[in-house]
Amino acid sequence: MLVGMDVGGTNTDLAVVEDGISSLKVPNTRGIADVLHHVRGPGRLAVSTSTPLNHLLTRRDWKVTSLLIPGPGLRWPGGVKGAVNHCGDIVEEVDREEVTSFLASHPADALAVIGKFSVRNPALEQKVAEYARGFYPDERICLSHPLAVLGFPARVATTRLNASLKEEVFRITKLVESERNTFLFFRGDAGLSPPGDVIRNPSVLTNSSAAAVGLGVSYLTGLRDCLVIDVGGTTTDLVPLESGMPIPEVLVHEGTRTATHVVRAHSLPFGGDSVIRDGLMPWREGNALAFGGSGPTLTDALNRTGFEIGDYHASSGLDRRLAEQVVDEYCRKVAEAVQGFDSPRIAGCGYLAPFLVPEIAREAGRQFSIPPHAECANAIGVAVSRVSLTLVAHFDGVRGRSVVNGEVRRMERMGDEDELVESCRQEVRRQALEAGAHPRDLDEIRVLTCSSYDVVRGAFRRSRITDIVVQVAPGITVEAR
Amino acid sequence: MTTVIVFDEAYLRHEQSPDHPERRERLSYTFDQLREDGIFDHPSFRHVFPVEATQEQVARVHLPEYISFLKEASTRGGFIDFDTVVPRGLLPLALLAAGGAIRAALSVLRGDGENAFALVRPPGHHARAGTGAGFCYLNNMAIAVREIQQQGIRRVMILDWDAHHGDGTQSIFYGDSSVLFTSIHQRPLYPGSGDTSEIGEGDGMGYTVNMPVPPGTGDGSYHYLFDTIIAPLAREFAPDFIAISAGQDVHFTDPLAGLAVTARGYAELVRKARQLAGEVCGGRLVAVLEGGYSVEGGLPYTNLGIAAALAGLDLENIREPEVFADWLLKAQDPSAHQRVCRMADTLRETLAPYWECFSF
Repeated sequence: MLVGMDVGGTNTDLAVVEDGISSLKVPNTRGIADVLHHVRGPGRLAVSTSTPLNHLLTRRDWKVTSLLIPGPGLRWPGGVKGAVNHCGDIVEEVDREEVTSFLASHPADALAVIGKFSVRNPALEQKVAEYARGFYPDERICLSHPLAVLGFPARVATTRLNASLKEEVFRITKLVESERNTFLFFRGDAGLSPPGDVIRNPSVLTNSSAAAVGLGVSYLTGLRDCLVIDVGGTTTDLVPLESGMPIPEVLVHEGTRTATHVVRAHSLPFGGDSVIRDGLMPWREGNALAFGGSGPTLTDALNRTGFEIGDYHASSGLDRRLAEQVVDEYCRKVAEAVQGFDSPRIAGCGYLAPFLVPEIAREAGRQFSIPPHAECANAIGVAVSRVSLTLVAHFDGVRGRSVVNGEVRRMERMGDEDELVESCRQEVRRQALEAGAHPRDLDEIRVLTCSSYDVVRGAFRRSRITDIVVQVAPGITVEAR
Repeated sequence: MTTVIVFDEAYLRHEQSPDHPERRERLSYTFDQLREDGIFDHPSFRHVFPVEATQEQVARVHLPEYISFLKEASTRGGFIDFDTVVPRGLLPLALLAAGGAIRAALSVLRGDGENAFALVRPPGHHARAGTGAGFCYLNNMAIAVREIQQQGIRRVMILDWDAHHGDGTQSIFYGDSSVLFTSIHQRPLYPGSGDTSEIGEGDGMGYTVNMPVPPGTGDGSYHYLFDTIIAPLAREFAPDFIAISAGQDVHFTDPLAGLAVTARGYAELVRKARQLAGEVCGGRLVAVLEGGYSVEGGLPYTNLGIAAALAGLDLENIREPEVFADWLLKAQDPSAHQRVCRMADTLRETLAPYWECFSF
């Protein structure tokens, strides 16, 4: 049994995929623990939680301090002494006094520690974290080396983002774990990760709702290339599918490229709960009148144009002409956004999709379909996803060490490229199985990078350096096929 | 303002033999440093991929029989000199290096960037019209210069800062007054040429300017030569384009030379070259990588420094790690500067008949 749970801005959607599909929508006001009571049986639980995290990011009073160890290179203000070189050697030590003095003079809510080349040797970042524990709890300290990839500026942006998310993700993890022994997080690139990995890099949860609807629609329709329109309560998300999968792209946060990839999505700030004043407003204040709210929303406008959604009589106070104008305005805005995508076909999902997507498709001049279970495609996407992991490994035969996803290991013997690739495949396979992957999901482990060069010292070839990246790619698990 | 970086991972493929000084490792660490410093995502830089130079572009510089030799040797393997063998499959990679220099120069000419840095391998400045030498097969710089001249640029000034004299480039332009070739290089050192008395021939008399410096020469002397020889010449020659043969074996950790230039010192030289280009030729400036064999202590930092200087970024933190501080002390020769000043006096005297800036 595969259980998917997507915590949205208004409701939490649950889907159970076994022989068939069953689904449930629970208001967030009842809390995650209450939702989890509905899925007490056996089976794999996967959780998507991007929306609450997106809310956290808008907190204006939350301050993250970045402590940088930039070493030689481009100038970064606010750095402390210390340097690791491209080979992972510590070529300048950090100074404890300088670090603690920096921390004392830069009070904040959370701390991001980023050292240049820390992905080749995390020792200086770890040392700074040790000094910082007198100032911050662990849940508010984020380091950059688990990101595993080169790119100091991108790691700065990602680690800052992570520092603002880590405590909340930690809290959600504890909450879910108090109800279920094991679960997986659904990431914004449509793959599943164990909670420990996500706590180290919570930025991967960004856009996970969009990734969920993309994967869910792919599963429900079998469409390879289309544009998914997810009509939610607060937003309407447009998610293109290519070869049956959402398209990954670099996450840009506060105008800076991060080290994280999430699915491409375009979000419009209008949904079923968007407030109506003299037109449609880009915010939500509560439920529609038809669902016990105190003011009219887009859902009430639909009722005034002839639909019967919820307690549709409660929508009658809304002026009919204004309602028609609001629905037209919404459909026109979404249709305009559709023009930014080449996909020939639209697939609608979300509770209001049957009432709005046909008109959007007509305005945009595209074909459309609305699959069965469209109202919970997001939770279905979460349920049917598979464990996906990326392993970034740097093998340095001269120094007798390897660095795997930012973790340094001793290496007794440097094998040839084939042996190293095979060891990486085995390792990612082992990690994926430990995380709960189905063995047949691991039939294809992709080698994304494999490059080597000889290291020569004193005119003699000493050994080699080899970089390898292998991946179990995101996708739909064989268990759901 | 954008600086174009021309680089392709194919530049990591060429290798004469695994333990040759001009090997893949030269650019691997640099590539890591540039990636870690975020150069390929930085708004001041634009990463451009090279394309192979065409037969026509190469033939403007190299003799047909040498091109035929390279083609044949590239399929079976061949020998030029003990430093320069032709490994199988060389030609496409050599053409890609020449193509990288062309791409960089044309990017500047077409306004894709204000200036450009071609991080190419194999290097080129020892290659003459009829033969390769000193790790070089095709003269990337000369091929790029002839291409931009074909596109309408008339006068080009070359600043060759490799520790070894750029004898190949000098010989190609020796009788050509449209190209002012200047070189600061260590002497004595391979290839042994590059005396102050070598000043060109025929129409090119006065358009070759050699500045041989002794081992132990450091940042101060290089900046002195830039300020007192190169800059005055540039103002008088008024080039349409400045091109740097950016050899980095001048670095104090380089195993094949004995100079004492630092990454910061080199970057500051490039900053001055950028200012000079702004003053005399609308900022049109390209740097093309030549030698440099300090794979860990030198190249990552000097290459980054060149890129940062071209982009006009803050150079304050362009430096080697502190562990190299003793090396620098050992590499410097305090007496070198006096000898450099004497050489500069001789040079000015030699060139005085050709350049007003040096006439008394």
